[in-house]
Amino acid sequence: MESTFGLEIYASNKLAYAGRARSLVVPVEDGEKAFLAHHANVIVAIVPGELRYEDADGNKVVAAVSNGFVEMINNRAKLFCLSVERPEEIDIRRAQEAKERAEEQLRQKQSIQEYHMNQLALARAMTRLRVTKNL
Amino acid sequence: MANAREIQSRIKSVQDTMKITNAMYMISSSKMKKAKKVLEDTEPYFYNMQAAIARILRHIPDIQHPFFSVRHLVPQQERKTGIIVVTGDKGMAGAYNHNITKLTDEFMEKTPGYHKLYVLGMVGRQYYEKKSADVDGSFRYTVQKPTMHRARLISEEIVRAFLDRELDEVHIIYTQMQNAAVMEPVDMQLLPLKKASFSPAQIPVGAPQEEIEMFPSADVVLDTMIPNYLTGVIYGCLVEAYASENNARMTAMQSSTDSAKKMLQDLSIQFNRARQAAITQEITEVISGAKAQRRK
Repeated sequence: MESTFGLEIYASNKLAYAGRARSLVVPVEDGEKAFLAHHANVIVAIVPGELRYEDADGNKVVAAVSNGFVEMINNRAKLFCLSVERPEEIDIRRAQEAKERAEEQLRQKQSIQEYHMNQLALARAMTRLRVTKNL
Repeated sequence: MANAREIQSRIKSVQDTMKITNAMYMISSSKMKKAKKVLEDTEPYFYNMQAAIARILRHIPDIQHPFFSVRHLVPQQERKTGIIVVTGDKGMAGAYNHNITKLTDEFMEKTPGYHKLYVLGMVGRQYYEKKSADVDGSFRYTVQKPTMHRARLISEEIVRAFLDRELDEVHIIYTQMQNAAVMEPVDMQLLPLKKASFSPAQIPVGAPQEEIEMFPSADVVLDTMIPNYLTGVIYGCLVEAYASENNARMTAMQSSTDSAKKMLQDLSIQFNRARQAAITQEITEVISGAKAQRRK
Protein backbone atom coordinates (compact mmCIF):
# COMPACT_ATOMS: atom_id res chain seq x y z
CA MET A 1 0.00 0.00 0.00
CA GLU A 2 3.04 2.25 0.30
CA SER A 3 3.20 3.16 -3.32
CA THR A 4 -0.42 3.91 -4.14
CA PHE A 5 -2.41 7.10 -4.26
CA GLY A 6 -6.10 7.94 -4.14
CA LEU A 7 -7.70 8.28 -7.55
CA GLU A 8 -11.16 9.54 -8.39
CA ILE A 9 -12.26 9.81 -11.99
CA TYR A 10 -15.38 11.88 -12.58
CA ALA A 11 -17.17 11.92 -15.89
CA SER A 12 -20.10 14.26 -16.34
CA ASN A 13 -22.59 11.41 -16.19
CA LYS A 14 -20.98 9.03 -13.72
CA LEU A 15 -18.21 8.30 -11.27
CA ALA A 16 -15.89 6.23 -13.44
CA TYR A 17 -13.44 5.11 -10.77
CA ALA A 18 -12.81 5.71 -7.09
CA GLY A 19 -10.11 3.88 -5.20
CA ARG A 20 -6.38 3.42 -4.90
CA ALA A 21 -4.10 3.42 -7.93
CA ARG A 22 -0.44 2.77 -8.62
CA SER A 23 -0.01 4.91 -11.68
CA LEU A 24 -1.95 7.27 -13.90
CA VAL A 25 -1.04 8.46 -17.40
CA VAL A 26 -3.00 11.33 -18.93
CA PRO A 27 -2.79 12.89 -22.41
CA VAL A 28 -1.61 16.52 -22.36
CA GLU A 29 -0.83 19.12 -24.97
CA ASP A 30 2.73 18.00 -25.66
CA GLY A 31 2.38 14.26 -25.18
CA GLU A 32 1.60 12.39 -21.99
CA LYS A 33 2.14 12.93 -18.33
CA ALA A 34 2.46 10.13 -15.80
CA PHE A 35 1.65 10.29 -12.09
CA LEU A 36 3.01 7.98 -9.46
CA ALA A 37 2.33 8.06 -5.74
CA HIS A 38 3.52 11.17 -3.87
CA HIS A 39 3.68 13.27 -6.96
CA ALA A 40 4.16 16.99 -6.34
CA ASN A 41 0.97 19.04 -6.08
CA VAL A 42 -0.03 19.95 -9.58
CA ILE A 43 -3.04 20.70 -11.75
CA VAL A 44 -2.82 19.57 -15.34
CA ALA A 45 -5.06 20.33 -18.30
CA ILE A 46 -6.04 17.24 -20.27
CA VAL A 47 -6.59 17.13 -24.03
CA PRO A 48 -8.73 14.49 -25.76
CA GLY A 49 -6.78 11.26 -25.83
CA GLU A 50 -6.06 7.96 -24.19
CA LEU A 51 -6.02 7.65 -20.40
CA ARG A 52 -4.31 4.76 -18.64
CA TYR A 53 -4.20 3.82 -15.00
CA GLU A 54 -3.14 0.86 -12.94
CA ASP A 55 -5.24 0.12 -9.88
CA ALA A 56 -3.93 -1.17 -6.55
CA ASP A 57 -4.15 -4.82 -7.67
CA GLY A 58 -2.13 -4.14 -10.78
CA ASN A 59 -5.02 -4.24 -13.27
CA LYS A 60 -4.29 -1.94 -16.18
CA VAL A 61 -7.24 0.06 -17.48
CA VAL A 62 -7.51 2.13 -20.65
CA ALA A 63 -10.16 4.73 -21.43
CA ALA A 64 -10.85 7.48 -23.95
CA VAL A 65 -11.21 10.93 -22.39
CA SER A 66 -12.29 14.32 -23.68
CA ASN A 67 -11.17 17.75 -22.48
CA GLY A 68 -10.73 18.15 -18.79
CA PHE A 69 -8.19 18.44 -16.03
CA VAL A 70 -6.65 16.48 -13.21
CA GLU A 71 -5.59 17.78 -9.83
CA MET A 72 -3.01 15.94 -7.74
CA ILE A 73 -3.00 17.29 -4.21
CA ASN A 74 -1.67 15.59 -1.09
CA ASN A 75 -1.33 12.24 -2.84
CA ARG A 76 -4.94 12.33 -3.97
CA ALA A 77 -5.76 12.68 -7.65
CA LYS A 78 -9.10 13.90 -8.91
CA LEU A 79 -9.75 13.78 -12.60
CA PHE A 80 -12.61 15.64 -14.28
CA CYS A 81 -13.54 15.04 -17.89
CA LEU A 82 -16.79 15.55 -19.76
CA SER A 83 -16.63 11.98 -20.98
CA VAL A 84 -14.65 8.97 -19.86
CA GLU A 85 -15.34 5.87 -21.93
CA ARG A 86 -14.03 2.35 -21.59
CA PRO A 87 -13.22 0.58 -24.87
CA GLU A 88 -16.20 -1.74 -24.53
CA GLU A 89 -18.58 1.22 -24.18
CA ILE A 90 -17.52 2.80 -27.46
CA ASP A 91 -19.58 2.38 -30.58
CA ILE A 92 -16.87 1.86 -33.21
CA ARG A 93 -19.07 2.57 -36.16
CA ARG A 94 -20.32 5.79 -34.67
CA ALA A 95 -16.79 6.91 -33.93
CA GLN A 96 -15.76 6.04 -37.49
CA GLU A 97 -18.64 8.06 -38.86
CA ALA A 98 -17.80 10.98 -36.57
CA LYS A 99 -14.21 10.88 -37.77
CA GLU A 100 -15.24 10.92 -41.42
CA ARG A 101 -17.69 13.73 -40.78
CA ALA A 102 -15.06 15.81 -39.02
CA GLU A 103 -12.53 15.22 -41.81
CA GLU A 104 -15.12 16.18 -44.38
CA GLN A 105 -15.90 19.38 -42.48
CA LEU A 106 -12.23 20.26 -42.12
CA ARG A 107 -11.85 20.24 -45.91
CA GLN A 108 -14.50 22.92 -46.29
CA LYS A 109 -13.87 26.60 -45.93
CA GLN A 110 -14.95 27.64 -42.47
CA SER A 111 -14.42 30.09 -39.67
CA ILE A 112 -11.66 29.65 -37.09
CA GLN A 113 -14.34 28.78 -34.55
CA GLU A 114 -15.75 25.96 -36.66
CA TYR A 115 -12.25 24.81 -37.48
CA HIS A 116 -11.40 24.39 -33.80
CA MET A 117 -14.66 22.63 -33.06
CA ASN A 118 -14.12 20.15 -35.87
CA GLN A 119 -10.54 19.62 -34.89
CA LEU A 120 -11.65 18.70 -31.38
CA ALA A 121 -14.36 16.42 -32.76
CA LEU A 122 -11.75 14.71 -34.92
CA ALA A 123 -9.43 14.28 -31.95
CA ARG A 124 -12.21 12.70 -29.89
CA ALA A 125 -13.19 10.33 -32.69
CA MET A 126 -9.60 9.27 -33.34
CA THR A 127 -8.99 8.58 -29.67
CA ARG A 128 -12.08 6.43 -29.47
CA LEU A 129 -10.91 4.42 -32.45
CA ARG A 130 -7.39 4.07 -31.09
CA VAL A 131 -8.57 2.87 -27.71
CA THR A 132 -10.79 0.23 -29.27
CA LYS A 133 -8.12 -1.09 -31.61
CA ASN A 134 -6.94 -3.72 -29.12
CA LEU A 135 -10.38 -5.09 -28.37
CA MET B 1 -82.73 21.95 -17.18
CA ALA B 2 -80.77 20.54 -20.10
CA ASN B 3 -82.16 17.39 -21.58
CA ALA B 4 -80.65 13.97 -21.05
CA ARG B 5 -78.99 13.71 -24.43
CA GLU B 6 -77.13 17.01 -24.03
CA ILE B 7 -75.82 15.97 -20.63
CA GLN B 8 -74.77 12.64 -22.02
CA SER B 9 -72.67 14.23 -24.74
CA ARG B 10 -71.02 16.46 -22.15
CA ILE B 11 -70.18 13.45 -20.05
CA LYS B 12 -68.64 11.82 -23.08
CA SER B 13 -66.45 14.83 -23.87
CA VAL B 14 -65.30 15.15 -20.26
CA GLN B 15 -64.42 11.47 -20.25
CA ASP B 16 -62.36 11.84 -23.40
CA THR B 17 -60.46 14.81 -21.99
CA MET B 18 -59.86 12.90 -18.80
CA LYS B 19 -58.30 10.07 -20.76
CA ILE B 20 -55.83 12.50 -22.28
CA THR B 21 -54.92 14.24 -19.01
CA ASN B 22 -54.52 10.90 -17.31
CA ALA B 23 -52.18 9.64 -20.05
CA MET B 24 -50.16 12.86 -19.92
CA TYR B 25 -49.88 12.49 -16.18
CA MET B 26 -48.41 9.04 -16.51
CA ILE B 27 -46.02 10.01 -19.30
CA SER B 28 -44.67 13.03 -17.46
CA SER B 29 -44.27 11.11 -14.22
CA SER B 30 -42.09 8.52 -15.93
CA LYS B 31 -40.11 11.23 -17.73
CA MET B 32 -39.56 13.01 -14.44
CA LYS B 33 -38.23 9.88 -12.82
CA LYS B 34 -35.73 9.48 -15.63
CA ALA B 35 -34.67 13.12 -15.44
CA LYS B 36 -34.14 12.85 -11.69
CA LYS B 37 -31.94 9.82 -12.19
CA VAL B 38 -29.81 11.70 -14.73
CA LEU B 39 -29.56 14.63 -12.34
CA GLU B 40 -28.29 12.36 -9.57
CA ASP B 41 -25.68 10.87 -11.91
CA THR B 42 -24.20 14.22 -12.79
CA GLU B 43 -24.19 15.69 -9.29
CA PRO B 44 -20.86 14.25 -8.04
CA TYR B 45 -19.01 15.61 -11.07
CA PHE B 46 -20.60 18.96 -10.61
CA TYR B 47 -19.95 19.47 -6.89
CA ASN B 48 -16.41 18.13 -6.96
CA MET B 49 -15.59 20.31 -9.93
CA GLN B 50 -16.86 23.34 -8.07
CA ALA B 51 -14.73 22.40 -5.08
CA ALA B 52 -11.68 21.98 -7.31
CA ILE B 53 -12.10 25.39 -8.89
CA ALA B 54 -12.61 26.92 -5.46
CA ARG B 55 -9.36 25.36 -4.33
CA ILE B 56 -7.43 26.70 -7.29
CA LEU B 57 -8.81 30.17 -6.73
CA ARG B 58 -7.93 30.00 -3.07
CA HIS B 59 -4.34 29.21 -3.89
CA ILE B 60 -3.98 31.85 -6.53
CA PRO B 61 -6.29 34.59 -5.33
CA ASP B 62 -5.00 37.40 -7.54
CA ILE B 63 -5.59 35.60 -10.78
CA GLN B 64 -6.28 37.65 -13.86
CA HIS B 65 -8.34 35.80 -16.38
CA PRO B 66 -10.81 36.97 -19.04
CA PHE B 67 -13.59 34.82 -17.55
CA PHE B 68 -13.34 36.70 -14.28
CA SER B 69 -13.14 40.23 -15.65
CA VAL B 70 -16.22 42.20 -14.71
CA ARG B 71 -15.51 44.84 -17.39
CA HIS B 72 -16.00 47.85 -15.16
CA LEU B 73 -15.07 50.11 -18.03
CA VAL B 74 -18.29 49.34 -19.89
CA PRO B 75 -20.91 51.81 -18.58
CA GLN B 76 -24.15 50.41 -17.16
CA GLN B 77 -26.25 51.76 -20.02
CA GLU B 78 -24.18 50.03 -22.67
CA ARG B 79 -23.75 46.66 -21.05
CA LYS B 80 -24.85 43.82 -23.24
CA THR B 81 -26.50 41.06 -21.26
CA GLY B 82 -27.17 37.66 -22.73
CA ILE B 83 -29.95 35.66 -21.10
CA ILE B 84 -30.49 31.96 -21.62
CA VAL B 85 -34.17 31.35 -20.97
CA VAL B 86 -35.21 27.76 -20.42
CA THR B 87 -38.92 27.21 -21.12
CA GLY B 88 -40.88 24.16 -22.18
CA ASP B 89 -41.68 22.98 -25.68
CA LYS B 90 -45.37 22.94 -24.94
CA GLY B 91 -47.83 24.25 -22.42
CA MET B 92 -50.14 22.18 -20.24
CA ALA B 93 -47.76 22.51 -17.33
CA GLY B 94 -49.54 24.89 -15.03
CA ALA B 95 -47.61 28.09 -14.39
CA TYR B 96 -44.25 26.63 -15.39
CA ASN B 97 -43.71 28.68 -18.55
CA HIS B 98 -45.43 31.73 -17.19
CA ASN B 99 -43.18 31.90 -14.14
CA ILE B 100 -40.08 31.83 -16.32
CA THR B 101 -41.23 34.51 -18.72
CA LYS B 102 -42.37 36.66 -15.82
CA LEU B 103 -38.98 36.47 -14.13
CA THR B 104 -37.24 37.20 -17.42
CA ASP B 105 -39.41 40.26 -18.06
CA GLU B 106 -38.74 41.53 -14.56
CA PHE B 107 -35.02 40.96 -15.00
CA MET B 108 -34.98 42.88 -18.26
CA GLU B 109 -36.86 45.79 -16.72
CA LYS B 110 -34.60 45.90 -13.71
CA THR B 111 -31.24 45.87 -15.47
CA PRO B 112 -30.28 48.71 -17.78
CA GLY B 113 -28.51 48.17 -21.07
CA TYR B 114 -29.07 45.95 -24.00
CA HIS B 115 -30.49 42.43 -23.73
CA LYS B 116 -30.09 39.50 -26.01
CA LEU B 117 -32.19 36.41 -25.44
CA TYR B 118 -31.17 32.86 -26.08
CA VAL B 119 -34.46 31.07 -25.72
CA LEU B 120 -34.74 27.32 -25.28
CA GLY B 121 -38.13 25.74 -25.85
CA MET B 122 -40.94 26.57 -28.26
CA VAL B 123 -43.22 28.33 -25.79
CA GLY B 124 -40.67 30.93 -24.80
CA ARG B 125 -39.48 31.45 -28.36
CA GLN B 126 -42.99 32.18 -29.59
CA TYR B 127 -43.65 34.49 -26.65
CA TYR B 128 -40.54 36.60 -27.23
CA GLU B 129 -40.80 36.62 -31.00
CA LYS B 130 -44.28 38.04 -30.61
CA LYS B 131 -42.95 40.68 -28.23
CA SER B 132 -40.23 41.41 -30.80
CA ALA B 133 -37.41 41.10 -28.30
CA ASP B 134 -33.93 40.41 -29.63
CA VAL B 135 -33.95 36.63 -29.86
CA ASP B 136 -30.98 34.79 -31.29
CA GLY B 137 -32.47 33.08 -34.35
CA SER B 138 -29.82 30.42 -34.73
CA PHE B 139 -30.30 29.22 -31.20
CA ARG B 140 -32.73 26.42 -31.88
CA TYR B 141 -32.48 23.66 -29.37
CA THR B 142 -35.18 21.54 -27.89
CA VAL B 143 -35.44 21.06 -24.16
CA GLN B 144 -36.55 17.45 -24.34
CA LYS B 145 -34.06 14.92 -23.00
CA PRO B 146 -31.09 17.19 -22.35
CA THR B 147 -27.77 15.79 -23.52
CA MET B 148 -24.19 16.72 -22.81
CA HIS B 149 -23.70 17.41 -26.49
CA ARG B 150 -26.38 20.07 -26.52
CA ALA B 151 -25.01 21.66 -23.36
CA ARG B 152 -21.59 21.76 -25.00
CA LEU B 153 -22.93 23.52 -28.09
CA ILE B 154 -24.72 26.07 -25.95
CA SER B 155 -21.73 26.80 -23.74
CA GLU B 156 -19.41 27.08 -26.75
CA GLU B 157 -21.68 29.68 -28.28
CA ILE B 158 -21.94 31.61 -25.02
CA VAL B 159 -18.21 31.54 -24.31
CA ARG B 160 -17.44 32.67 -27.84
CA ALA B 161 -19.88 35.58 -27.61
CA PHE B 162 -18.46 36.57 -24.24
CA LEU B 163 -14.84 36.48 -25.35
CA ASP B 164 -15.62 38.36 -28.58
CA ARG B 165 -17.25 41.05 -26.44
CA GLU B 166 -20.63 40.56 -28.03
CA LEU B 167 -21.85 40.06 -24.48
CA ASP B 168 -20.58 41.51 -21.22
CA GLU B 169 -22.66 39.33 -18.93
CA VAL B 170 -24.44 36.04 -19.31
CA HIS B 171 -27.33 34.85 -17.16
CA ILE B 172 -29.42 31.74 -17.23
CA ILE B 173 -33.03 31.71 -16.08
CA TYR B 174 -34.41 28.27 -15.40
CA THR B 175 -36.66 26.46 -12.96
CA GLN B 176 -35.12 24.92 -9.91
CA MET B 177 -36.76 22.08 -8.12
CA GLN B 178 -36.62 22.55 -4.37
CA ASN B 179 -38.69 19.46 -3.69
CA ALA B 180 -41.55 17.58 -5.27
CA ALA B 181 -44.03 20.36 -4.54
CA VAL B 182 -41.97 23.56 -4.73
CA MET B 183 -40.44 24.75 -7.96
CA GLU B 184 -38.96 28.18 -8.32
CA PRO B 185 -37.64 30.11 -11.29
CA VAL B 186 -34.10 31.27 -10.57
CA ASP B 187 -31.66 33.58 -12.27
CA MET B 188 -28.02 32.58 -12.15
CA GLN B 189 -25.05 34.50 -13.46
CA LEU B 190 -22.83 32.35 -15.66
CA LEU B 191 -20.28 34.89 -16.87
CA PRO B 192 -18.19 36.65 -15.71
CA LEU B 193 -17.58 34.17 -12.94
CA LYS B 194 -17.81 35.59 -9.46
CA LYS B 195 -14.87 34.59 -7.37
CA ALA B 196 -16.90 34.97 -4.22
CA SER B 197 -19.39 32.29 -5.24
CA PHE B 198 -16.64 29.69 -5.34
CA SER B 199 -14.63 30.43 -2.25
CA PRO B 200 -16.04 29.46 1.13
CA ALA B 201 -16.97 32.29 3.47
CA GLN B 202 -13.78 32.04 5.42
CA ILE B 203 -10.75 29.84 5.28
CA PRO B 204 -10.07 28.23 8.64
CA VAL B 205 -6.95 29.58 10.29
CA GLY B 206 -3.98 27.31 9.76
CA ALA B 207 -5.45 25.51 6.75
CA PRO B 208 -2.56 24.16 4.73
CA GLN B 209 -1.73 26.47 1.88
CA GLU B 210 0.28 24.20 -0.29
CA GLU B 211 2.05 25.24 -3.43
CA ILE B 212 0.30 23.99 -6.52
CA GLU B 213 1.98 23.94 -9.84
CA MET B 214 -0.12 24.42 -12.95
CA PHE B 215 0.76 22.59 -16.10
CA PRO B 216 1.22 23.80 -18.85
CA SER B 217 0.22 27.14 -17.23
CA ALA B 218 -2.47 28.60 -15.03
CA ASP B 219 -4.09 30.25 -18.04
CA VAL B 220 -4.28 27.04 -20.04
CA VAL B 221 -5.67 25.12 -17.09
CA LEU B 222 -8.37 27.73 -16.50
CA ASP B 223 -9.04 27.93 -20.23
CA THR B 224 -10.04 24.28 -20.31
CA MET B 225 -11.54 24.13 -16.85
CA ILE B 226 -13.95 26.99 -17.09
CA PRO B 227 -15.69 26.11 -20.37
CA ASN B 228 -15.96 22.58 -18.99
CA TYR B 229 -17.43 23.91 -15.80
CA LEU B 230 -19.91 26.07 -17.72
CA THR B 231 -20.94 23.12 -19.84
CA GLY B 232 -21.52 21.21 -16.64
CA VAL B 233 -23.57 24.03 -15.14
CA ILE B 234 -25.69 24.42 -18.26
CA TYR B 235 -26.24 20.70 -18.44
CA GLY B 236 -27.28 20.68 -14.80
CA CYS B 237 -29.70 23.55 -15.39
CA LEU B 238 -31.21 21.86 -18.43
CA VAL B 239 -31.71 18.62 -16.58
CA GLU B 240 -33.23 20.39 -13.61
CA ALA B 241 -35.54 22.44 -15.82
CA TYR B 242 -36.61 19.30 -17.64
CA ALA B 243 -37.38 17.55 -14.37
CA SER B 244 -39.30 20.61 -13.12
CA GLU B 245 -41.26 20.89 -16.34
CA ASN B 246 -42.38 17.31 -16.11
CA ASN B 247 -43.13 17.68 -12.44
CA ALA B 248 -45.23 20.77 -13.15
CA ARG B 249 -47.05 18.97 -15.91
CA MET B 250 -47.62 16.01 -13.66
CA THR B 251 -49.20 18.16 -10.95
CA ALA B 252 -51.28 20.11 -13.45
CA MET B 253 -52.52 16.97 -15.12
CA GLN B 254 -53.32 15.32 -11.83
CA SER B 255 -55.42 18.26 -10.67
CA SER B 256 -57.24 18.39 -14.00
CA THR B 257 -57.92 14.67 -13.82
CA ASP B 258 -59.31 15.22 -10.34
CA SER B 259 -61.55 18.05 -11.42
CA ALA B 260 -62.70 16.01 -14.41
CA LYS B 261 -63.72 13.27 -12.00
CA LYS B 262 -65.66 15.75 -9.94
CA MET B 263 -67.36 17.15 -13.01
CA LEU B 264 -68.32 13.65 -14.10
CA GLN B 265 -69.89 13.00 -10.74
CA ASP B 266 -71.95 16.20 -10.89
CA LEU B 267 -72.93 15.53 -14.46
CA SER B 268 -74.04 11.98 -13.75
CA ILE B 269 -76.27 13.23 -10.92
CA GLN B 270 -77.74 15.80 -13.28
CA PHE B 271 -78.18 13.15 -15.94
CA ASN B 272 -80.01 10.82 -13.56
CA ARG B 273 -82.29 13.62 -12.44
CA ALA B 274 -83.08 14.56 -16.01
CA ARG B 275 -83.78 10.94 -16.86
CA GLN B 276 -85.97 10.54 -13.80
CA ALA B 277 -87.85 13.70 -14.67
CA ALA B 278 -88.41 12.47 -18.22
CA ILE B 279 -89.77 9.15 -16.94
CA THR B 280 -92.05 10.83 -14.42
CA GLN B 281 -93.36 13.10 -17.09
CA GLU B 282 -94.02 10.21 -19.44
CA ILE B 283 -95.89 8.28 -16.74
CA THR B 284 -98.01 11.32 -15.92
CA GLU B 285 -98.84 11.70 -19.57
CA VAL B 286 -99.78 8.04 -19.93
CA ILE B 287 -101.93 8.05 -16.81
CA SER B 288 -103.69 11.27 -17.64
CA GLY B 289 -104.26 10.00 -21.16
CA ALA B 290 -105.75 6.74 -19.82
CA LYS B 291 -108.00 8.66 -17.41
CA ALA B 292 -109.24 10.86 -20.16
CA GLN B 293 -110.07 7.77 -22.23
CA ARG B 294 -112.02 6.13 -19.34
CA ARG B 295 -114.26 9.12 -18.76
CA LYS B 296 -115.67 9.00 -22.24
